[in-house]
Amino acid sequence: MIDWNRYPAHILPKLKEHYAVKSMRRPPRLIGDTRDFTNIDYGDIIHVGERYFLIVGYTKEGRFGIDEQPKQWVPKVYDLESGERKIVKLTFHEVYTLSFGGLEVTCYRSPEKEAAVIELVRGNPYFMQGYSALDEADNLVRVLDIIQGKRLDKHLETLGDTHREYFEKHVGKVLVNFLDSIKGISLLHAHGLKHGDIRRDHIFVDRVDGRFRWIDFDYDFYLPERPFALDLFGLGNVLLFILGRKNFRLADILKDPEMGPEVFEKLDSNDLSLVSADRIFNIRKIFPYIPKCLNDILLHFSAGTNVMYDSVDEFHDDLVACMEKI
Amino acid sequence: MARSEKILIAIDEGETSLKALRYVARMASSMANVSICLLHIYPEPPPDFYLKGGVLEDYQKEKSTKAEEIFALGERILFEAGIKNTMVQRILRLASGTTISQTILDVQLEGEYGTVVVGKRGVSKAEEFLFGSISNALARNSCRFTTWVVG
Repeated sequence: MIDWNRYPAHILPKLKEHYAVKSMRRPPRLIGDTRDFTNIDYGDIIHVGERYFLIVGYTKEGRFGIDEQPKQWVPKVYDLESGERKIVKLTFHEVYTLSFGGLEVTCYRSPEKEAAVIELVRGNPYFMQGYSALDEADNLVRVLDIIQGKRLDKHLETLGDTHREYFEKHVGKVLVNFLDSIKGISLLHAHGLKHGDIRRDHIFVDRVDGRFRWIDFDYDFYLPERPFALDLFGLGNVLLFILGRKNFRLADILKDPEMGPEVFEKLDSNDLSLVSADRIFNIRKIFPYIPKCLNDILLHFSAGTNVMYDSVDEFHDDLVACMEKI
Repeated sequence: MARSEKILIAIDEGETSLKALRYVARMASSMANVSICLLHIYPEPPPDFYLKGGVLEDYQKEKSTKAEEIFALGERILFEAGIKNTMVQRILRLASGTTISQTILDVQLEGEYGTVVVGKRGVSKAEEFLFGSISNALARNSCRFTTWVVG
């Protein structure tokens, strides 16, 4: 039996009628302290910052090629006042080590940093939007708008049949949008903030206006002398993916009947990624029709480079100059 | 005193700093009028420092204690080369909101040092990309002063 008196009158109509509540065999729990997020379930209600959010699912995330796992600290919710669907991120601190070709970098999941980014980019169309609030136990909760759209990598798959068709007809527009994404990261850096987890699936392409929007800002890392190096590395990886529409490893080249040993023999270790040596950055050896100036930008991220980018602005300016040229 | 006789040497506890110190000791011992500043810079605490209840003052005290050992060793190397302690200064800084290399440049500018000395670790390109290279950053940004990179 649900005690409806526990809830304010203005949310009752939506609460009583929601399928998540009607379909439950137990009454929903009202949760004000979200610290123990593993005990918060589907159909429960989170009370944060004068709002009541009914949990209707969980977001999922997996690295590429790995089964997606539900993220219990990131439930999908229904705002019982506005009726909007939102994503809520509950406080989850973790520290772990990332390895790049044997070099280790300490990473931190930081709700505080994400809250700072959300605050900074309020109203900026190139970032996911939302706000932060404290629950009754002072846990920092972020309430995020859902972006109606597709991950960048999934979006690119829909453009053109062959790589050549994709490259000639669509890449120009993709790069124009990507320039705005880069400027967005530059804005963060100018304020001493990092994105922290720049990946091709952390850009969403808005279904309505086609804009690229950054998501997921809760990673931070500790690189005192090169604080923005991993963001730069991420941007290089995204550009590589945009130009190639996939990442190529040496083994992929050998397996591909259209490339095989002929392309493989042209490649050497200098063509691989500077940081992790796992993917080919000298992509012009695979697709010779890619303009040299675009490839030259990628080469700054390759093992053969003698000149590295120090700032996102340098990367941005090179890309602008190249796009004007081509 | 000419600017060239004002030497700023950035040191930490590493072997390359010792090499740089010994090099400066040899060079400076033959200079009639020289002033040497030992500079030690430490980074801001990691992102989770305050969440774990860390207090900046304690962090600074810990770094200051470590710096004392570094400075003492530096002064001993210079003294053994014949450089009087009165010619040696110390500066300890937290690189607050900036990088260590930029802090060295800031101190150089403030003190109008004519020569800046650092040790060179010899890092791979990947290490340089991720962790940076203070000697490369200084070499790139040297302007109106001389940089000695001691390897």
